[in-house]
Amino acid sequence: MSNETPSQDLPQESSDELVQRIGQLTRMLRESMRELGLDKEIEKAAEAIPDARDRLNYVATMTEQAAERSLNAIDRAQPLQDDLSTRAEALDKRWAEWFAEPQELDEARDLVQDTRGYLADVPKRTQATNQELLEIMMAQDFQDLTGQVIKKMMDVIREIEYQLVQVLIDAVPQGKAREDLQKRATNQWQTDERRREEGLLNGPQIKPEGENIVTGQDQVDDLLDELGF
Amino acid sequence: MANKDMSILVVDDFPTMRRIVRSLLKELGFTNVEEAEDGQDALNKLSSGSFDFVVSDWNMPNLDGLEMLKQIRADSTLKDLPVLMVTAEAKKENIIAAAQAGANGYVVKPFTSATLEEKLNKIFDKLGM
Repeated sequence: MSNETPSQDLPQESSDELVQRIGQLTRMLRESMRELGLDKEIEKAAEAIPDARDRLNYVATMTEQAAERSLNAIDRAQPLQDDLSTRAEALDKRWAEWFAEPQELDEARDLVQDTRGYLADVPKRTQATNQELLEIMMAQDFQDLTGQVIKKMMDVIREIEYQLVQVLIDAVPQGKAREDLQKRATNQWQTDERRREEGLLNGPQIKPEGENIVTGQDQVDDLLDELGF
Repeated sequence: MANKDMSILVVDDFPTMRRIVRSLLKELGFTNVEEAEDGQDALNKLSSGSFDFVVSDWNMPNLDGLEMLKQIRADSTLKDLPVLMVTAEAKKENIIAAAQAGANGYVVKPFTSATLEEKLNKIFDKLGM
């Protein structure tokens, strides 16, 4: 190999030296980052990412469920509506024929009975359709739940932003510019923190298997019973 | 059976959820419903109007549902107003805190229309409304 294009290949010795040089640089970079505390900042920012991923996953699941729930309800409601209109059309046609050419009383009685049967059936069918409409409405509750989770995610993003800004600030040479930047970043952070430090405001649980979390209305009721409320 | 003309205040910062709760109430026969978008807005409306019942979210800007509940219980004219919490907060501490602050019921989101009806009726029965 080495005799094919010797001019492009580094001599063995020089390539070793290069690897060693890169190694040294990496070590130096890592050490100076540690000295400045930057590795911790980056670590904190990186830790926030799985949480953001979980939240996005929750949003994806909730929106998918809502869409499916709505579409299923529509699939159930449409045949009910179709049936109502088909039967009405058939009866209307029979009535039109009867008016065009009035028949024996017996035949007319059948028509009247069928029509009454249909009329009695309409409220049942519309009620069933109404139930499906209600189901579609209830499916929209995802908007509230995902909205709360997205707001929480914006906090996570702010955290990552803060950590990255810290890294940038630390790279600015010491002096007034750096102090100003630091002050601004800290002020912003404290405002955000105040908003976040609310232990009872967590929004929907994205992982219901967590500790101290109820997984449904039954558990809420049990807990309240236990407490004597 | 509760008086269907009773006036109910629905408090939630998400318009979608307010609409859902309002429609469910309408389905149950309660049409006298008004809305507030956070605890502060609710307190303003409660103090200027006469309401018989409050259905409230917890996590809201300006004034959250728990704070609002505490202020209702501390107010001499509002203190007996029934308050049903309807919230996504699902930690045990939350439920305990709401009960201790004087919530009359606690519904965790997402909820069904049957659950809302059951909890409303439970409160009506208990308070003889």
